[in-house]
Amino acid sequence: MALTFSQIEGKSKGFYILLIILAAFTLIGFICFMVSYITGHHVLGTSNIIPWGMPIIITIYLIGLSAGSLILSSLTYVFKKEEYRPISRLAVFLAIILIFGAMMGIALDLGRPEKSWRLFMFFVLNNMRSMFAVNGILYGGYFLIGIVYLGAIFAEKYRFIRMMGMLAVFWAALVHMGTGAIFGFIATRPIFFSPIKPFEFLAAAMVSGLALLIIAVVAIFKFTKRDFNKTIIFSLGKLLLTLIILLAVMVLVDKLTHLYSPDREPIVWLLTGTYSWTFWGLQAGLAYILPIVLLAHPRCGMTIKGVIVAAFSVVIGIFGERFALVIPGTAYPLPFYPGKIEGIWGAAGSFPITPVESFMSIGIFTLMGLFLLVGLKYLELLPVGQTGQQAPQPEKKI
Amino acid sequence: MPRWGMVIDQDKCIGCQACSTACKSENNVPHGSPDEQRLRKDIYWNKVIAVTSGKYPKVNTEPISMPCMHCDDAPCVTVCPAKATYRREDGIVVQDFRRCIGCKYCIVACPYGARSFNSKEQEEKEYLRQDLPPDRSVWGQWPFPTRTHGVVEKCTFCFHRIDQGIKEGKKIGKEVVPACVEDCPTRARIFGDLDDTHSEVSSLLASRDWIRLREGLDTKPKVYYLLK
Repeated sequence: MALTFSQIEGKSKGFYILLIILAAFTLIGFICFMVSYITGHHVLGTSNIIPWGMPIIITIYLIGLSAGSLILSSLTYVFKKEEYRPISRLAVFLAIILIFGAMMGIALDLGRPEKSWRLFMFFVLNNMRSMFAVNGILYGGYFLIGIVYLGAIFAEKYRFIRMMGMLAVFWAALVHMGTGAIFGFIATRPIFFSPIKPFEFLAAAMVSGLALLIIAVVAIFKFTKRDFNKTIIFSLGKLLLTLIILLAVMVLVDKLTHLYSPDREPIVWLLTGTYSWTFWGLQAGLAYILPIVLLAHPRCGMTIKGVIVAAFSVVIGIFGERFALVIPGTAYPLPFYPGKIEGIWGAAGSFPITPVESFMSIGIFTLMGLFLLVGLKYLELLPVGQTGQQAPQPEKKI
Repeated sequence: MPRWGMVIDQDKCIGCQACSTACKSENNVPHGSPDEQRLRKDIYWNKVIAVTSGKYPKVNTEPISMPCMHCDDAPCVTVCPAKATYRREDGIVVQDFRRCIGCKYCIVACPYGARSFNSKEQEEKEYLRQDLPPDRSVWGQWPFPTRTHGVVEKCTFCFHRIDQGIKEGKKIGKEVVPACVEDCPTRARIFGDLDDTHSEVSSLLASRDWIRLREGLDTKPKVYYLLK
């Protein structure tokens, strides 16, 4: 067998410093969560007009990254693209960590997190007409499938891996489309309501998952001083470009449909109102325009730096896309009655950034970072050559 | 089985907010501070909005008082994952705090902004009203001894009064009505059985022009507004 995987050594000073920093922020995040749990959500930026805040934004963002990451791992195990084999294990592991982070996000957002078990009482205590309850099945199943899939990969049971891979890809697509449906099916909120939302979410998942994987691969290989095949990064860059264009077209179609008269005020407000910077600056600018320019550029697109900058831009931009959906989507005042609604009931909501919510959000990321470090130390996720030093060129296998 | 509904006469409503305050004292809804109101964190089971239409010099500002619409096809019931919000047989949409997990999906889905999230541990003085008039105090504390933060709250059409009234054999809609209906100084609010053709609400709906809010969403609200 030409391609073997190993742990990282994890004994350097840098490793431990990183571990301590992440643990400290996780602890701060946990304390902030306890504050919000004990004293109530008034310490968060959410209100009765914007009921969902950072934890939900982070959750849908992480679900996207996770689903995208898992779908990419299938390139090796299902579609037999051998050049992606070195990153395939990491992709599956990342997917599991990210979905765990997403479920944490949901739990942090709940007013009564101790009752979150109720979300998993499918068909018994759950109202299965709720997209939230349906997604409970999808998320729970996804987490389990991810773990079995990774286990099969470690056990090197190839036929089973392929089967699990196919199931995982199918399930990952469902997970993200289901998440899109949570928003897309709400007729009350014109910025959410769209039949294309599940597909838009799926495309966004692929885009952000791929961008994160590119960053993770380059970073881990650089920090652990492993050589990597640059052509993989460039081909991933090309794939990223295609997916971003696909996503941008979907968003364009969605917004154009909503812009068509009549009943266009909500989307005009999104594009020109208080929160227009989130759409134009973060979503359109960072997630679509900048990476498309960088990746399509004949020289930038063929340098590692160019691809990495584009990937960073996408990862931040897709976060912005989630923000530009959740916050303006709920902040837009509901038209209870024809005419101009005076006072606070007709005003758009505001979403103050509060320290408790910010540290809680950072805590979700640092906890996932901790899991990743521990995983890299104890699981055989990264490829090594027979010399134990570097990742070799992959050979045909299976 | 009756189907409880409410009629609000726009001709009579003067926007005095008596319904809002009656609701707050009947149901021990916290008053909320000015800061909370500015940030939209205070709890309202009933609100009165002012809507301006027309252009100068022909401008009209109308008060619209809005309890929960108790929709027959309520989006909040559809989206609640924990069955915490459900529609009773008599059409009242209620919220069970003990089941509610606080996911706030119902707040997102409600087209009428009728739901509020209880976002803090309220001080005792804000909850346990000692100043209830004597006739109200016989109801005791509504129906849970203490309320908790982290759950979503909403108008209940004062179902505790209705249930008690039915037990005592009283006429609902005449002898027993929700607090907001009872306290309305202009009698702009009328409560009763929508399926009973002899009820006051039914005869008003048969004789006057009416609208329901956001009809386009087809939620079939049970709160009707009689036009001026």
